[in-house]
Amino acid sequence: MASKALVHRPSQPAFRSAGKSALLTLPVLLWSLLMFARPFADPQASVKIAVGIATVFMVTLFFMMMRTWSTYRWRRYFFVALGLLFPVGFIHNVMVMRGTMGIPIEEMIAGRTPFCFIPIPLLILPAALTKTLVFPGSILPHGGMSGGGMAAMAGLWLAATIVLGKGWCSYACFFGGIEEGMAAVPTRAKVKKIDPRWRYGPWAVLLVMVLLSLALFEPAYCMWLCPFKAVSEYVAARDKVGMIQNGIFVVLFAGLVIALPLLTKKRTQCAFFCPFGAFQSIFNKLSVFEMRIDKARCTPCVLCRNACPTMSLTPESIGRGETLMSCMKCGACVDECPKDAVVWHIKGTDINMNPERARLMFLYAAWALAIPFAGSIIVDGLATILHVFV
Amino acid sequence: MKLPTAKLGYTAAGVTVFAALLVPFILWGSFTKAFAGLGLHVDEVYSGGPKVRTIQLAGYAIDVHRPVTPHMLQSEKPFVQLDWRPAKALPPHISDVVDVDGDGQPDLRVEFDVLEDAKAPLRVNVDALNSHYESMRDVGKQKFSSLIVRVDDAILVRVPLASK
Repeated sequence: MASKALVHRPSQPAFRSAGKSALLTLPVLLWSLLMFARPFADPQASVKIAVGIATVFMVTLFFMMMRTWSTYRWRRYFFVALGLLFPVGFIHNVMVMRGTMGIPIEEMIAGRTPFCFIPIPLLILPAALTKTLVFPGSILPHGGMSGGGMAAMAGLWLAATIVLGKGWCSYACFFGGIEEGMAAVPTRAKVKKIDPRWRYGPWAVLLVMVLLSLALFEPAYCMWLCPFKAVSEYVAARDKVGMIQNGIFVVLFAGLVIALPLLTKKRTQCAFFCPFGAFQSIFNKLSVFEMRIDKARCTPCVLCRNACPTMSLTPESIGRGETLMSCMKCGACVDECPKDAVVWHIKGTDINMNPERARLMFLYAAWALAIPFAGSIIVDGLATILHVFV
Repeated sequence: MKLPTAKLGYTAAGVTVFAALLVPFILWGSFTKAFAGLGLHVDEVYSGGPKVRTIQLAGYAIDVHRPVTPHMLQSEKPFVQLDWRPAKALPPHISDVVDVDGDGQPDLRVEFDVLEDAKAPLRVNVDALNSHYESMRDVGKQKFSSLIVRVDDAILVRVPLASK
Protein backbone atom coordinates (compact mmCIF):
# COMPACT_ATOMS: atom_id res chain seq x y z
CA MET A 1 0.00 0.00 0.00
CA ALA A 2 1.18 3.50 -0.72
CA SER A 3 2.14 5.62 2.25
CA LYS A 4 0.08 8.75 2.78
CA ALA A 5 3.30 10.73 3.24
CA LEU A 6 4.23 10.11 -0.37
CA VAL A 7 3.23 12.24 -3.30
CA HIS A 8 0.39 10.70 -5.27
CA ARG A 9 0.18 11.19 -8.99
CA PRO A 10 -2.08 14.14 -9.77
CA SER A 11 -4.76 13.52 -12.32
CA GLN A 12 -3.08 14.67 -15.47
CA PRO A 13 -4.58 17.01 -18.03
CA ALA A 14 -4.42 15.75 -21.60
CA PHE A 15 -1.47 18.02 -22.32
CA ARG A 16 1.20 19.56 -20.21
CA SER A 17 1.37 23.33 -20.76
CA ALA A 18 3.50 24.40 -23.71
CA GLY A 19 5.58 26.68 -21.52
CA LYS A 20 6.41 24.00 -18.96
CA SER A 21 7.07 21.49 -21.74
CA ALA A 22 9.46 23.96 -23.37
CA LEU A 23 11.19 24.56 -20.06
CA LEU A 24 11.65 20.82 -19.53
CA THR A 25 12.99 20.54 -23.09
CA LEU A 26 15.47 23.38 -22.69
CA PRO A 27 18.29 21.19 -21.27
CA VAL A 28 17.87 18.84 -24.23
CA LEU A 29 18.07 21.77 -26.65
CA LEU A 30 21.26 23.05 -25.01
CA TRP A 31 22.76 19.56 -24.97
CA SER A 32 21.90 19.11 -28.66
CA LEU A 33 23.58 22.39 -29.58
CA LEU A 34 26.67 21.39 -27.60
CA MET A 35 26.85 17.86 -29.03
CA PHE A 36 26.12 18.85 -32.63
CA ALA A 37 28.50 21.83 -32.63
CA ARG A 38 31.41 19.77 -33.94
CA PRO A 39 29.58 18.08 -36.86
CA PHE A 40 28.04 21.48 -37.68
CA ALA A 41 31.55 22.82 -38.24
CA ASP A 42 31.85 20.47 -41.23
CA PRO A 43 32.28 22.61 -44.36
CA GLN A 44 29.81 20.53 -46.42
CA ALA A 45 26.37 22.12 -46.72
CA SER A 46 24.68 18.69 -46.69
CA VAL A 47 26.17 17.95 -43.24
CA LYS A 48 25.16 21.35 -41.88
CA ILE A 49 21.57 20.86 -43.08
CA ALA A 50 21.53 17.31 -41.69
CA VAL A 51 22.72 18.57 -38.32
CA GLY A 52 20.00 21.21 -38.34
CA ILE A 53 17.30 18.67 -39.18
CA ALA A 54 18.59 16.19 -36.58
CA THR A 55 18.67 18.87 -33.87
CA VAL A 56 15.12 20.02 -34.60
CA PHE A 57 13.98 16.39 -34.85
CA MET A 58 15.45 15.25 -31.53
CA VAL A 59 14.41 18.37 -29.62
CA THR A 60 10.88 18.32 -31.06
CA LEU A 61 10.43 14.68 -30.13
CA PHE A 62 11.50 15.37 -26.56
CA PHE A 63 9.17 18.38 -26.41
CA MET A 64 6.29 16.19 -27.56
CA MET A 65 7.18 13.60 -24.94
CA MET A 66 6.87 16.32 -22.35
CA ARG A 67 3.74 17.88 -23.82
CA THR A 68 1.74 14.69 -24.32
CA TRP A 69 3.09 12.60 -21.38
CA SER A 70 3.63 9.88 -23.95
CA THR A 71 7.04 8.27 -24.43
CA TYR A 72 6.67 5.37 -26.81
CA ARG A 73 5.13 6.96 -29.90
CA TRP A 74 7.68 9.80 -30.01
CA ARG A 75 10.63 7.60 -29.17
CA ARG A 76 9.51 5.35 -32.00
CA TYR A 77 9.95 8.13 -34.56
CA PHE A 78 13.52 8.58 -33.36
CA PHE A 79 14.21 4.87 -33.26
CA VAL A 80 12.78 4.14 -36.70
CA ALA A 81 14.75 7.06 -38.16
CA LEU A 82 17.88 5.63 -36.56
CA GLY A 83 17.18 2.15 -37.92
CA LEU A 84 16.47 3.38 -41.44
CA LEU A 85 19.28 5.93 -41.68
CA PHE A 86 22.03 3.74 -40.25
CA PRO A 87 22.20 1.47 -43.31
CA VAL A 88 22.11 4.51 -45.61
CA GLY A 89 25.19 6.09 -44.07
CA PHE A 90 26.96 2.81 -43.39
CA ILE A 91 26.50 1.28 -46.83
CA HIS A 92 27.52 4.56 -48.45
CA ASN A 93 30.73 4.64 -46.39
CA VAL A 94 31.46 0.99 -47.18
CA MET A 95 30.95 1.52 -50.89
CA VAL A 96 33.16 4.61 -50.93
CA MET A 97 35.95 2.99 -48.93
CA ARG A 98 36.04 -0.48 -50.37
CA GLY A 99 33.59 -0.56 -53.25
CA THR A 100 31.59 -3.54 -52.00
CA MET A 101 29.31 -4.57 -49.13
CA GLY A 102 31.15 -7.89 -48.98
CA ILE A 103 34.08 -7.88 -46.57
CA PRO A 104 37.16 -8.86 -48.60
CA ILE A 105 39.58 -11.18 -46.84
CA GLU A 106 42.35 -8.55 -47.11
CA GLU A 107 40.22 -6.14 -45.08
CA MET A 108 39.79 -8.78 -42.39
CA ILE A 109 43.53 -9.41 -42.33
CA ALA A 110 44.16 -5.66 -42.15
CA GLY A 111 41.81 -5.49 -39.15
CA ARG A 112 39.35 -3.20 -40.86
CA THR A 113 36.11 -5.07 -40.30
CA PRO A 114 33.70 -2.66 -38.60
CA PHE A 115 32.85 -3.86 -35.10
CA CYS A 116 29.29 -3.48 -33.84
CA PHE A 117 28.06 -4.29 -30.33
CA ILE A 118 26.27 -7.56 -31.12
CA PRO A 119 29.38 -9.83 -30.97
CA ILE A 120 30.47 -8.45 -27.58
CA PRO A 121 29.04 -11.38 -25.56
CA LEU A 122 30.59 -13.86 -28.00
CA LEU A 123 34.08 -12.49 -27.46
CA ILE A 124 34.13 -12.69 -23.67
CA LEU A 125 34.98 -16.38 -23.15
CA PRO A 126 37.79 -16.60 -25.75
CA ALA A 127 39.19 -13.30 -24.43
CA ALA A 128 39.02 -14.46 -20.83
CA LEU A 129 40.62 -17.83 -21.56
CA THR A 130 43.24 -16.89 -24.16
CA LYS A 131 43.39 -13.07 -24.23
CA THR A 132 42.35 -13.36 -27.86
CA LEU A 133 39.62 -11.36 -29.60
CA VAL A 134 38.05 -13.65 -32.16
CA PHE A 135 37.03 -10.89 -34.53
CA PRO A 136 38.83 -9.68 -37.68
CA GLY A 137 38.96 -6.06 -36.53
CA SER A 138 41.45 -3.93 -34.69
CA ILE A 139 41.47 -2.88 -31.06
CA LEU A 140 42.33 0.74 -31.87
CA PRO A 141 41.48 2.78 -34.99
CA HIS A 142 43.25 1.35 -38.02
CA GLY A 143 41.91 3.26 -41.01
CA GLY A 144 39.29 2.20 -43.52
CA MET A 145 36.11 0.88 -41.93
CA SER A 146 37.77 0.05 -38.60
CA GLY A 147 36.09 3.16 -37.15
CA GLY A 148 37.13 3.74 -33.57
CA GLY A 149 38.20 0.12 -33.22
CA MET A 150 36.81 -2.57 -30.96
CA ALA A 151 37.92 -0.72 -27.82
CA ALA A 152 35.78 2.31 -28.70
CA MET A 153 32.66 0.19 -29.25
CA ALA A 154 33.29 -1.81 -26.08
CA GLY A 155 33.84 1.42 -24.15
CA LEU A 156 30.64 2.96 -25.50
CA TRP A 157 28.66 -0.17 -24.75
CA LEU A 158 29.92 -0.30 -21.16
CA ALA A 159 29.24 3.38 -20.52
CA ALA A 160 25.78 3.21 -22.10
CA THR A 161 24.92 0.00 -20.26
CA ILE A 162 25.65 1.60 -16.91
CA VAL A 163 23.24 4.38 -17.79
CA LEU A 164 20.50 2.53 -19.68
CA GLY A 165 20.74 -1.18 -18.86
CA LYS A 166 18.51 -3.00 -21.33
CA GLY A 167 17.32 0.45 -22.41
CA TRP A 168 20.17 0.15 -24.91
CA CYS A 169 17.76 -1.82 -27.09
CA SER A 170 15.32 1.11 -27.23
CA TYR A 171 17.61 4.12 -27.38
CA ALA A 172 21.01 3.04 -28.71
CA CYS A 173 20.67 -0.03 -30.95
CA PHE A 174 20.96 1.06 -34.57
CA PHE A 175 19.33 -2.09 -35.91
CA GLY A 176 16.06 -2.46 -33.98
CA GLY A 177 14.40 0.53 -35.62
CA ILE A 178 13.78 -1.30 -38.86
CA GLU A 179 11.62 -3.96 -37.26
CA GLU A 180 9.97 -1.42 -34.95
CA GLY A 181 9.01 0.51 -38.06
CA MET A 182 7.66 -2.66 -39.68
CA ALA A 183 5.70 -3.49 -36.52
CA ALA A 184 4.12 -0.02 -36.65
CA VAL A 185 2.78 -0.45 -40.19
CA PRO A 186 -0.32 -2.65 -39.60
CA THR A 187 -3.11 -1.30 -37.43
CA ARG A 188 -3.79 -4.75 -35.98
CA ALA A 189 -1.68 -7.86 -35.54
CA LYS A 190 -2.64 -10.71 -37.87
CA VAL A 191 -0.90 -13.24 -35.62
CA LYS A 192 -2.02 -12.61 -32.05
CA LYS A 193 -1.30 -15.87 -30.31
CA ILE A 194 2.41 -16.41 -29.87
CA ASP A 195 3.78 -19.27 -27.81
CA PRO A 196 5.43 -17.63 -24.78
CA ARG A 197 8.27 -20.14 -24.98
CA TRP A 198 9.64 -18.18 -27.94
CA ARG A 199 10.85 -15.69 -25.33
CA TYR A 200 13.62 -18.13 -24.49
CA GLY A 201 14.87 -17.93 -28.08
CA PRO A 202 17.46 -15.16 -27.48
CA TRP A 203 18.88 -17.07 -24.51
CA ALA A 204 19.18 -20.23 -26.57
CA VAL A 205 20.84 -18.36 -29.45
CA LEU A 206 23.17 -16.64 -26.96
CA LEU A 207 24.19 -19.91 -25.32
CA VAL A 208 24.78 -21.73 -28.60
CA MET A 209 26.64 -18.81 -30.18
CA VAL A 210 28.86 -18.25 -27.13
CA LEU A 211 29.87 -21.92 -27.10
CA LEU A 212 30.32 -22.05 -30.88
CA SER A 213 32.42 -18.88 -30.86
CA LEU A 214 34.66 -20.41 -28.22
CA ALA A 215 34.95 -23.74 -30.03
CA LEU A 216 35.39 -22.39 -33.57
CA PHE A 217 37.29 -19.27 -32.49
CA GLU A 218 35.23 -17.03 -34.70
CA PRO A 219 32.29 -14.66 -34.12
CA ALA A 220 29.80 -17.39 -34.96
CA TYR A 221 26.72 -15.15 -34.91
CA CYS A 222 28.30 -12.67 -37.33
CA MET A 223 29.41 -15.51 -39.59
CA TRP A 224 26.14 -17.40 -39.68
CA LEU A 225 23.05 -15.80 -38.17
CA CYS A 226 23.06 -12.01 -38.06
CA PRO A 227 20.00 -10.79 -40.00
CA PHE A 228 21.43 -7.28 -40.22
CA LYS A 229 24.27 -8.40 -42.43
CA ALA A 230 21.66 -8.05 -45.16
CA VAL A 231 21.62 -4.26 -44.68
CA SER A 232 25.17 -3.56 -43.56
CA GLU A 233 27.92 -5.82 -44.85
CA TYR A 234 28.32 -9.52 -45.32
CA VAL A 235 30.93 -12.18 -45.75
CA ALA A 236 32.33 -11.84 -49.26
CA ALA A 237 31.10 -15.02 -50.93
CA ARG A 238 34.35 -16.72 -51.90
CA ASP A 239 32.82 -20.17 -52.12
CA LYS A 240 29.61 -22.16 -51.59
CA VAL A 241 29.85 -21.73 -47.82
CA GLY A 242 29.89 -17.96 -48.26
CA MET A 243 26.84 -18.16 -50.51
CA ILE A 244 25.01 -20.21 -47.86
CA GLN A 245 25.96 -17.72 -45.15
CA ASN A 246 24.66 -14.79 -47.17
CA GLY A 247 21.48 -16.70 -48.01
CA ILE A 248 20.87 -17.24 -44.28
CA PHE A 249 21.34 -13.53 -43.57
CA VAL A 250 18.78 -12.54 -46.20
CA VAL A 251 16.22 -15.15 -45.13
CA LEU A 252 16.53 -14.20 -41.45
CA PHE A 253 16.24 -10.51 -42.28
CA ALA A 254 13.19 -11.04 -44.46
CA GLY A 255 11.56 -13.26 -41.83
CA LEU A 256 12.48 -11.74 -38.48
CA VAL A 257 12.85 -8.08 -39.36
CA ILE A 258 10.26 -7.63 -42.12
CA ALA A 259 7.58 -10.32 -42.29
CA LEU A 260 7.06 -11.32 -38.66
CA PRO A 261 6.92 -7.76 -37.26
CA LEU A 262 4.30 -6.99 -39.94
CA LEU A 263 2.27 -10.01 -38.86
CA THR A 264 2.67 -9.79 -35.09
CA LYS A 265 3.32 -6.08 -34.39
CA LYS A 266 6.23 -7.26 -32.22
CA ARG A 267 9.95 -6.70 -32.50
CA THR A 268 10.41 -10.36 -33.31
CA GLN A 269 14.15 -10.34 -33.95
CA CYS A 270 14.72 -8.63 -30.60
CA ALA A 271 12.15 -10.69 -28.71
CA PHE A 272 12.88 -14.15 -30.09
CA PHE A 273 16.37 -14.18 -31.57
CA CYS A 274 18.89 -11.47 -30.67
CA PRO A 275 21.67 -12.87 -28.44
CA PHE A 276 22.88 -9.39 -27.56
CA GLY A 277 19.41 -8.54 -26.24
CA ALA A 278 19.52 -11.58 -23.95
CA PHE A 279 22.99 -10.62 -22.78
CA GLN A 280 21.87 -7.04 -22.17
CA SER A 281 18.94 -8.29 -20.07
CA ILE A 282 21.45 -9.39 -17.45
CA PHE A 283 22.50 -5.76 -17.00
CA ASN A 284 18.93 -4.60 -16.54
CA LYS A 285 19.36 -5.34 -12.85
CA LEU A 286 22.14 -2.74 -12.71
CA SER A 287 19.90 0.06 -13.92
CA VAL A 288 18.15 2.12 -11.29
CA PHE A 289 15.23 2.73 -13.67
CA GLU A 290 12.49 0.16 -14.25
CA MET A 291 8.84 -0.21 -15.15
CA ARG A 292 6.44 -1.25 -12.38
CA ILE A 293 2.77 -2.07 -12.20
CA ASP A 294 0.72 -0.58 -9.39
CA LYS A 295 -1.35 -3.58 -8.37
CA ALA A 296 -3.84 -1.32 -6.59
CA ARG A 297 -4.73 0.34 -9.89
CA CYS A 298 -4.30 -2.63 -12.23
CA THR A 299 -7.62 -4.20 -13.31
CA PRO A 300 -5.83 -6.27 -15.01
CA CYS A 301 -6.89 -5.76 -18.62
CA VAL A 302 -3.52 -6.97 -20.08
CA LEU A 303 -3.47 -4.14 -22.63
CA CYS A 304 0.11 -3.56 -21.48
CA ARG A 305 1.00 -7.16 -22.22
CA ASN A 306 -0.46 -6.88 -25.71
CA ALA A 307 1.35 -3.60 -26.34
CA CYS A 308 4.78 -4.80 -25.24
CA PRO A 309 6.91 -5.26 -28.38
CA THR A 310 9.16 -7.86 -26.74
CA MET A 311 6.58 -9.84 -24.72
CA SER A 312 8.21 -8.74 -21.50
CA LEU A 313 4.95 -8.80 -19.56
CA THR A 314 3.11 -11.94 -18.53
CA PRO A 315 0.06 -12.41 -16.32
CA GLU A 316 2.43 -13.69 -13.63
CA SER A 317 4.78 -10.70 -13.88
CA ILE A 318 1.82 -8.31 -13.89
CA GLY A 319 0.62 -10.09 -10.77
CA ARG A 320 4.02 -9.43 -9.20
CA GLY A 321 3.84 -5.81 -10.31
CA GLU A 322 6.93 -5.98 -12.49
CA THR A 323 8.15 -6.62 -16.01
CA LEU A 324 10.44 -9.45 -17.08
CA MET A 325 14.17 -8.80 -17.23
CA SER A 326 13.93 -8.48 -21.02
CA CYS A 327 12.04 -5.16 -20.65
CA MET A 328 13.83 -2.51 -22.71
CA LYS A 329 12.09 0.50 -21.21
CA CYS A 330 10.44 1.66 -24.42
CA GLY A 331 7.39 2.91 -22.54
CA ALA A 332 4.75 1.18 -24.69
CA CYS A 333 3.07 -0.39 -21.66
CA VAL A 334 2.90 2.92 -19.78
CA ASP A 335 1.34 4.72 -22.72
CA GLU A 336 -1.20 1.94 -23.24
CA CYS A 337 -2.46 1.59 -19.67
CA PRO A 338 -5.86 3.29 -19.28
CA LYS A 339 -5.60 3.24 -15.49
CA ASP A 340 -2.09 4.72 -15.15
CA ALA A 341 -1.17 1.53 -13.35
CA VAL A 342 2.05 0.93 -15.31
CA VAL A 343 4.62 3.51 -14.31
CA TRP A 344 8.22 4.51 -14.69
CA HIS A 345 9.95 3.77 -11.41
CA ILE A 346 13.21 4.38 -9.61
CA LYS A 347 14.35 1.43 -7.54
CA GLY A 348 14.05 1.98 -3.81
CA THR A 349 11.21 4.47 -4.10
CA ASP A 350 7.57 3.81 -3.49
CA ILE A 351 5.62 2.98 -6.62
CA ASN A 352 3.43 6.06 -6.17
CA MET A 353 6.29 8.42 -5.55
CA ASN A 354 6.05 10.71 -8.56
CA PRO A 355 6.45 8.34 -11.52
CA GLU A 356 6.64 11.32 -13.88
CA ARG A 357 9.86 12.34 -12.13
CA ALA A 358 11.24 8.84 -12.74
CA ARG A 359 10.27 9.08 -16.42
CA LEU A 360 11.91 12.47 -16.74
CA MET A 361 15.16 11.36 -15.13
CA PHE A 362 15.34 8.28 -17.32
CA LEU A 363 14.54 10.24 -20.47
CA TYR A 364 17.15 12.87 -19.67
CA ALA A 365 19.75 10.11 -19.27
CA ALA A 366 18.59 8.26 -22.40
CA TRP A 367 18.39 11.40 -24.55
CA ALA A 368 21.78 12.58 -23.24
CA LEU A 369 23.24 9.46 -24.87
CA ALA A 370 20.92 9.28 -27.85
CA ILE A 371 21.75 12.78 -29.08
CA PRO A 372 25.52 12.42 -29.51
CA PHE A 373 25.64 8.77 -30.57
CA ALA A 374 22.40 7.85 -32.30
CA GLY A 375 22.13 11.48 -33.39
CA SER A 376 25.47 11.30 -35.19
CA ILE A 377 24.24 8.21 -37.08
CA ILE A 378 21.07 10.06 -38.06
CA VAL A 379 23.17 13.01 -39.22
CA ASP A 380 25.43 10.71 -41.24
CA GLY A 381 22.50 9.02 -42.98
CA LEU A 382 20.69 12.30 -43.65
CA ALA A 383 23.85 13.94 -44.97
CA THR A 384 24.36 10.99 -47.33
CA ILE A 385 20.88 11.51 -48.79
CA LEU A 386 21.15 15.31 -48.85
CA HIS A 387 24.52 15.11 -50.55
CA VAL A 388 22.71 13.92 -53.66
CA PHE A 389 20.73 17.16 -53.83
CA VAL A 390 22.96 19.78 -52.19
CA MET B 1 8.39 3.82 5.45
CA LYS B 2 10.90 3.58 2.66
CA LEU B 3 12.32 7.10 2.67
CA PRO B 4 15.99 6.12 3.23
CA THR B 5 15.86 3.74 0.27
CA ALA B 6 13.97 6.40 -1.68
CA LYS B 7 16.82 8.82 -1.05
CA LEU B 8 19.28 6.20 -2.20
CA GLY B 9 17.18 5.54 -5.28
CA TYR B 10 16.98 9.18 -6.24
CA THR B 11 20.69 9.63 -5.57
CA ALA B 12 21.45 6.70 -7.84
CA ALA B 13 19.11 8.09 -10.51
CA GLY B 14 20.81 11.49 -10.26
CA VAL B 15 24.22 9.87 -10.55
CA THR B 16 22.97 7.97 -13.61
CA VAL B 17 21.83 11.18 -15.31
CA PHE B 18 25.17 12.80 -14.43
CA ALA B 19 27.02 9.75 -15.77
CA ALA B 20 25.08 10.02 -19.04
CA LEU B 21 26.33 13.59 -19.40
CA LEU B 22 29.87 12.45 -18.70
CA VAL B 23 29.83 9.66 -21.30
CA PRO B 24 30.88 11.75 -24.34
CA PHE B 25 33.52 13.66 -22.38
CA ILE B 26 35.09 11.22 -19.92
CA LEU B 27 33.43 7.84 -19.51
CA TRP B 28 33.57 6.67 -23.12
CA GLY B 29 37.24 7.57 -23.46
CA SER B 30 38.13 6.09 -20.08
CA PHE B 31 36.40 2.79 -20.79
CA THR B 32 37.95 2.68 -24.26
CA LYS B 33 41.42 3.17 -22.80
CA ALA B 34 40.74 0.59 -20.11
CA PHE B 35 39.64 -1.95 -22.72
CA ALA B 36 42.64 -1.22 -24.92
CA GLY B 37 44.87 -1.68 -21.88
CA LEU B 38 43.61 -5.18 -21.10
CA GLY B 39 46.42 -6.72 -23.14
CA LEU B 40 44.07 -8.49 -25.54
CA HIS B 41 45.10 -9.22 -29.10
CA VAL B 42 43.24 -10.03 -32.29
CA ASP B 43 43.24 -13.72 -33.24
CA GLU B 44 46.39 -14.46 -35.20
CA VAL B 45 44.43 -16.35 -37.85
CA TYR B 46 43.25 -12.89 -38.87
CA SER B 47 46.27 -10.75 -37.97
CA GLY B 48 48.95 -13.22 -39.13
CA GLY B 49 50.87 -13.23 -35.87
CA PRO B 50 53.77 -11.03 -34.82
CA LYS B 51 56.68 -10.33 -37.19
CA VAL B 52 59.81 -12.14 -36.02
CA ARG B 53 62.45 -11.07 -38.52
CA THR B 54 63.05 -9.33 -41.82
CA ILE B 55 64.97 -10.63 -44.83
CA GLN B 56 66.45 -7.71 -46.74
CA LEU B 57 66.68 -8.17 -50.51
CA ALA B 58 67.66 -5.81 -53.33
CA GLY B 59 65.12 -2.96 -53.19
CA TYR B 60 62.54 -4.74 -51.05
CA ALA B 61 62.20 -6.87 -47.93
CA ILE B 62 60.36 -9.97 -46.74
CA ASP B 63 58.88 -9.87 -43.23
CA VAL B 64 58.63 -13.32 -41.67
CA HIS B 65 55.90 -13.81 -39.06
CA ARG B 66 55.76 -16.34 -36.25
CA PRO B 67 53.89 -19.50 -37.33
CA VAL B 68 50.22 -19.41 -36.37
CA THR B 69 48.51 -22.41 -34.83
CA PRO B 70 44.69 -22.29 -34.96
CA HIS B 71 42.69 -23.07 -31.83
CA MET B 72 40.52 -26.08 -31.09
CA LEU B 73 37.97 -26.59 -33.86
CA GLN B 74 39.10 -23.74 -36.10
CA SER B 75 38.87 -24.92 -39.67
CA GLU B 76 42.16 -23.38 -40.81
CA LYS B 77 45.51 -25.18 -40.95
CA PRO B 78 48.60 -23.88 -39.14
CA PHE B 79 50.44 -21.41 -41.39
CA VAL B 80 53.26 -18.93 -41.62
CA GLN B 81 52.83 -15.45 -43.11
CA LEU B 82 55.44 -13.73 -45.28
CA ASP B 83 55.08 -10.07 -46.32
CA TRP B 84 56.77 -8.66 -49.40
CA ARG B 85 57.09 -4.89 -49.04
CA PRO B 86 56.99 -2.21 -50.20
CA ALA B 87 54.71 -3.41 -52.98
CA LYS B 88 55.61 -0.41 -55.12
CA ALA B 89 59.30 -1.41 -55.14
CA LEU B 90 58.68 -5.05 -56.12
CA PRO B 91 59.75 -6.26 -59.56
CA PRO B 92 57.00 -7.44 -61.98
CA HIS B 93 57.75 -11.07 -61.13
CA ILE B 94 58.85 -12.44 -57.77
CA SER B 95 60.71 -15.71 -57.53
CA ASP B 96 62.36 -15.82 -54.13
CA VAL B 97 63.85 -18.61 -52.09
CA VAL B 98 62.99 -17.91 -48.46
CA ASP B 99 64.63 -19.15 -45.29
CA VAL B 100 61.60 -19.01 -43.05
CA ASP B 101 63.05 -20.33 -39.79
CA GLY B 102 66.41 -18.55 -40.04
CA ASP B 103 68.53 -21.70 -39.91
CA GLY B 104 70.47 -20.76 -43.06
CA GLN B 105 68.71 -23.40 -45.17
CA PRO B 106 66.10 -22.52 -47.84
CA ASP B 107 62.58 -23.56 -46.88
CA LEU B 108 60.33 -22.24 -49.64
CA ARG B 109 60.42 -21.03 -53.21
CA VAL B 110 57.69 -18.43 -53.72
CA GLU B 111 56.63 -17.18 -57.16
CA PHE B 112 54.01 -14.62 -58.07
CA ASP B 113 53.40 -11.80 -60.50
CA VAL B 114 53.14 -8.27 -59.12
CA LEU B 115 50.32 -6.62 -61.02
CA GLU B 116 50.23 -2.87 -61.52
CA ASP B 117 46.55 -2.71 -60.59
CA ALA B 118 46.58 -2.92 -56.80
CA LYS B 119 43.05 -4.37 -56.80
CA ALA B 120 43.76 -7.11 -59.35
CA PRO B 121 43.56 -10.66 -57.95
CA LEU B 122 46.93 -12.24 -57.25
CA ARG B 123 47.95 -15.90 -57.65
CA VAL B 124 50.91 -17.60 -56.02
CA ASN B 125 52.91 -20.80 -56.43
CA VAL B 126 54.88 -22.10 -53.48
CA ASP B 127 57.31 -25.02 -53.59
CA ALA B 128 58.12 -26.46 -50.21
CA LEU B 129 61.84 -27.21 -50.05
CA ASN B 130 61.51 -29.24 -46.87
CA SER B 131 58.82 -31.29 -45.20
CA HIS B 132 57.72 -28.61 -42.73
CA TYR B 133 55.65 -26.74 -45.30
CA GLU B 134 53.01 -27.52 -47.90
CA SER B 135 53.38 -26.62 -51.55
CA MET B 136 50.65 -24.50 -53.15
CA ARG B 137 49.71 -24.21 -56.82
CA ASP B 138 47.89 -21.20 -58.32
CA VAL B 139 46.39 -20.14 -55.00
CA GLY B 140 44.36 -16.93 -54.60
CA LYS B 141 42.57 -16.00 -51.38
CA GLN B 142 40.14 -18.78 -50.56
CA LYS B 143 41.37 -19.53 -47.05
CA PHE B 144 43.08 -17.63 -44.26
CA SER B 145 45.81 -20.30 -44.05
CA SER B 146 46.76 -20.41 -47.74
CA LEU B 147 46.50 -17.19 -49.67
CA ILE B 148 48.08 -14.25 -51.39
CA VAL B 149 46.57 -10.79 -50.90
CA ARG B 150 47.66 -7.21 -51.11
CA VAL B 151 47.21 -5.27 -47.89
CA ASP B 152 48.18 -1.61 -48.07
CA ASP B 153 51.78 -1.52 -49.29
CA ALA B 154 52.62 -5.19 -48.80
CA ILE B 155 51.85 -8.45 -50.54
CA LEU B 156 51.09 -11.15 -48.00
CA VAL B 157 51.58 -14.84 -48.67
CA ARG B 158 50.40 -17.44 -46.17
CA VAL B 159 51.86 -20.91 -46.51
CA PRO B 160 50.28 -23.83 -44.62
CA LEU B 161 52.52 -25.91 -42.40
CA ALA B 162 52.61 -29.61 -43.19
CA SER B 163 50.75 -31.93 -40.85
CA LYS B 164 53.06 -33.90 -38.62
